[in-house]
Amino acid sequence: MTLHRRCDGVARRDFLRVGGLTALGFGLGDYFAAQRVFAARGLQGGAPAPTAKACILVWLDGGPSHLETFDPKPEAPSEIRGPFGTIATTLPGVHISEHLHRTAAMLDKVAIVRSLTSPFGVHNFAIQYVMTGHRPTPALEYPTFGATLAHVRGARGVLPPNVAIPDLVSRDRASLGSGFLPGATSPFEIGSDPGKRDFKVRDLDFYQGLDLPRLDRRREFVNALDAFSRAKDAAGSTGDPDLERAYNLIASPDAKAAFDLSEEPPAVRERYSVDPRAQIDDSNNIGQQCLLARRLVERGVPFVTVNNTGWDNHTNLMLYKDRHPGTPDTHAHIPALDQAFSALVGDLSDRGLLEETLVVVMGEFGRTPKINSNGGRDHWPNCFSAALVGGGVQGGQVIGSSDALGEFPTDRPVTPSDLAATIYTLLGIDPALELHTKDGRPIRVTPHDAAVIPELLGA
Amino acid sequence: MRRPAILVTLALLALIGAVGLAQRPGAGEAARTARPGSAAFAVSGAEPAALVDFDNDLIPVFTSAGCNSGACHGSAAGRGGFKLSLYGGDPLADYDAIVRQLSGRRVNLVQPDQSLLLLKPTAAISHGGRQALPPDSEGAGLLREWIAQGAPYVTHRQLARVEVTPARHFAETPGVAVSLRATAHYDDGTTRDVTRWTMFTPEDSSAVTIDRQTATAEMQRRGRHNVSARYLDQVVPIQLIVPLRDAAVDLSAEVRRNFIDDEILRTLADLRLPVSPPAGDAAFLRRVTLDLTGRLPQSKRVETWLAGGGDLGREALVDELLASDAFTEFWTLKLATLLRIRSQQDKAVLTITPEAARVYHEWLAGRIRERVGYDDLVRELILAEGDSRVFGPATFYRTTEDPMAQTEFVSELFMGARIRCANCHNHPLDRWTQDDYHGLTAIFATVGREPVVRANPVGRTIHPVTGEPARLRLPGAPTPLDPALDARAAFADWLTDPENPYFAKAIVNRLWKAMMGRGLVEPVDDFRATNPASHPALLTRLADDFVEHGYDLRHTLKRIAVSAAYARGAETTAENAADDRYYSHALRRPLEPEVLADAISDVIGVPGRYGSEPIGTRAVALYDASIVSDALDILGRCGRQASCESGPPAVGALPRKLHLFNGELLNERLAAPGSRLGALLAAGEPPLDIVQAFYVAALGRHPTAGEQQFWRRQLAGGASRAVLEDFVWGLLSGSEFQTNH
Repeated sequence: MTLHRRCDGVARRDFLRVGGLTALGFGLGDYFAAQRVFAARGLQGGAPAPTAKACILVWLDGGPSHLETFDPKPEAPSEIRGPFGTIATTLPGVHISEHLHRTAAMLDKVAIVRSLTSPFGVHNFAIQYVMTGHRPTPALEYPTFGATLAHVRGARGVLPPNVAIPDLVSRDRASLGSGFLPGATSPFEIGSDPGKRDFKVRDLDFYQGLDLPRLDRRREFVNALDAFSRAKDAAGSTGDPDLERAYNLIASPDAKAAFDLSEEPPAVRERYSVDPRAQIDDSNNIGQQCLLARRLVERGVPFVTVNNTGWDNHTNLMLYKDRHPGTPDTHAHIPALDQAFSALVGDLSDRGLLEETLVVVMGEFGRTPKINSNGGRDHWPNCFSAALVGGGVQGGQVIGSSDALGEFPTDRPVTPSDLAATIYTLLGIDPALELHTKDGRPIRVTPHDAAVIPELLGA
Repeated sequence: MRRPAILVTLALLALIGAVGLAQRPGAGEAARTARPGSAAFAVSGAEPAALVDFDNDLIPVFTSAGCNSGACHGSAAGRGGFKLSLYGGDPLADYDAIVRQLSGRRVNLVQPDQSLLLLKPTAAISHGGRQALPPDSEGAGLLREWIAQGAPYVTHRQLARVEVTPARHFAETPGVAVSLRATAHYDDGTTRDVTRWTMFTPEDSSAVTIDRQTATAEMQRRGRHNVSARYLDQVVPIQLIVPLRDAAVDLSAEVRRNFIDDEILRTLADLRLPVSPPAGDAAFLRRVTLDLTGRLPQSKRVETWLAGGGDLGREALVDELLASDAFTEFWTLKLATLLRIRSQQDKAVLTITPEAARVYHEWLAGRIRERVGYDDLVRELILAEGDSRVFGPATFYRTTEDPMAQTEFVSELFMGARIRCANCHNHPLDRWTQDDYHGLTAIFATVGREPVVRANPVGRTIHPVTGEPARLRLPGAPTPLDPALDARAAFADWLTDPENPYFAKAIVNRLWKAMMGRGLVEPVDDFRATNPASHPALLTRLADDFVEHGYDLRHTLKRIAVSAAYARGAETTAENAADDRYYSHALRRPLEPEVLADAISDVIGVPGRYGSEPIGTRAVALYDASIVSDALDILGRCGRQASCESGPPAVGALPRKLHLFNGELLNERLAAPGSRLGALLAAGEPPLDIVQAFYVAALGRHPTAGEQQFWRRQLAGGASRAVLEDFVWGLLSGSEFQTNH
């Protein structure tokens, strides 16, 4: 396996990259083409029309253990079973981890896929596969879901169409996720953690001593300078579209307010995580991150990634639940996920947004069923789980299953390509839609062998 | 040990005439070692035409029908359980797949028409790839005939080269169809028209369309277009040109300073692309100073240069810059970035201490200062051994994690070739094979990666096909190295040999890109037949000239810097505005992060802070990319973990612009005491003089009359410090400042 790791794809920043300094190359042409193709092909099997306007990807970075979350193995020997028990859910006969009790109570709305399988056991390749639906290759860097959506839908309003909270993926700085699409489709990384008391989006507020009139003047000056310096150039001055986007974001009180969590009533903030102002450890603030994602989606942002790090736990499974033995730790990964996920779904539902907002919870792979000598689990891409809800997903079902030890899918294996095709379909993008590289190569949104999972669409 | 399924046939053939093991150049080590003892025959004496030649007749059928492409059975995993080597790169493996696998069901020797090999592609039975070969096609006929003959592995002759005509075609208008023809030349002196088995692939399918039936190419739009012709493992480029305009362009009066101008102007004349006027003195001074020293010209220099006094001319200026310490400092940064000199303390990777990075960087700076030839410099790196904490170049072997990564790093840097694909399969677009990849990896396995770098003669790497230790082999060599030789010395000799076809071109192409904004080959680490240079003759001449002049980096930089092509203005005309690769005008390129950071510091007049380095340390002089600097991070510096050669830095444009408006990069120092603005105000300079001083410092020119008028209006009614700060902010945020042009 190791012999093939580089051909399987290596994170090179210089595959085929499109200049980030170019104008906003949002292809509305592509969008209309997508709609036409989609209408012409129709969905096979009479599935309902896609309803999702937006997607929140709750990314469990590092690879969550499927056995400690959505695919426990209570009957397995203890070295497989792990330290946690299981609980029944609102879905008859389906059990999940005992520390996901809020999620268990809403499982009738959620679809769980237990048979995801990927060949990549190294973080960056695995992330690329799961986040793009394409197996990584040195020949081309593919766009992530958010970039594709930003490209096809285009920017509307001042807020960026693809936002990452607080950043995209910490492990793979080589890629900003836009792949071969224009750099402007890459996620806007807010760069700071909404769970922190002093949370502010980096550089969105005026620098000390500055105000809007001064920014107006600066913008006027720089535009004048650019125009003068290009006066003799036949190509003329194209202005600086990124500078303009930045200015608009700063100048728009509404855009700024989108990021202002203090506008939320305390009850709402506490719904997502227990007393966000009294944290034991501020390293894991998935709750407030999800709350910010909801605010953005509510304001028309089509794609938000909540990047929740710290799931690459090789040592002590207990840390998933309790990092400070003896004191209840609501910020430990599993309880925090449980509260954040259930609050997000409940809140979206209360606001009537769940039908048009797809929420996906997953990471790049699962963990080894056999617990290692440090009491942890290592990387295991052969079988892992994902949870999907809202946005037209047929909830209340478990798709596929793993074997008795959680090692391999026993039926209905689902590849990240299949999942990608399904996510795109839910978002109204034909998985066969062709995008184009800078040099004109047509590249499908998902590979040829990607098959939509009809059960998820209720088909 | 493989056993041919058709031993009887082969045995009979063996009796027919003189028998010899066919040695096909380019056949894999794996294939050779796995070769059945007597499976491959050169049959002479017998009637060669009587038996279908597997390599030369059948493989092209698969290639031209697309069967062995990456999207079908040529993919790494094959398709539908049937795997062919990519583009037929490994005929013996293909023979095995066809004749032996699936219990031999793919060929039916008794009823050839019932062979899966025929039923599938002719779509007589269900085939995922639908009908790839019509039943009455010549290809299907060849398959049928071969199976009827007993499906033997026979090859009569070896392909020596493929000739394609025309290699270059010039048409007056788009829409003209060009007939393409491919001729195979064999080792026995025979030739054959293989046009119908050759794949003609345009680089841009919207520019050239190919009619496969008639083997004609039709140019759809004006410009110069590349088509690659592939027959078996040979790729030949074809150039099709339709001038950009109807009327010829007279470039005969253009200045020609050296061979660079001859080559550039020849292509421009072919394309009828008019050139922009030469850059003015101010623009040239700023451009060449930035390119050679990574600094803006100092204000005093700008003023004397523009006044026309005190300077001998452009060539003398270039000489002066090349001899400066600033040149050494800046080009050390450039090479240090290529060599990925950095410290790293992450437990998951080899530890490189900051001290090791510093001594490596100092060693490199010394070599550049002393004008050591690039061949000697690289040789020292390849042969380096010793304690990396005190002997810089030893860290060369600690740059990457393992010998495979070293192979990829070295081949991309010194050969401009991405041979990484050849780890798993022979390169689909190039000549590199798995033997090349693992042979070079085997060479790098003979050196250890401990902090004290030592030869490790027992170091091995496994060839994935044989499962055995890979044999030491120089890239492209037909046979392995003698294990008794010093493998690294052999590699260094081969690489730096004046006849080496890759080494000099790879570096002069990078020098060209540094000066001109675009490599003659792009990406600069992706040289291959299917990615031809924009100006092949120029690349060759630059490389030859570089070798003839002792691999002297400064020599080639000077050649470029004094050419008329380099001195062309960046202002485009209506006719050449769209040109991004023929050098009809200078290309605007963003300043590198370190250069931009220094330029900002110099214009504002307040130095930046870099980790715990002494105040006043320039960003271009940092020996380690991990020295803390928010400014360099936001500007997108290369972390040197990997190549940063193509593409913009991995920093989102939106956060960078937000930072310009509201971040520390500019704001913190605009208002700081001791700044240029503060000093000018304190000296009581009138506002318009302050504007002029900043124009000179930042843009290396005086404001135009229009600009003066604009600023006079803006500053009328009393120029507060705030307005002037906003002016400086605008100047530093504008594209004229942030680019070299």
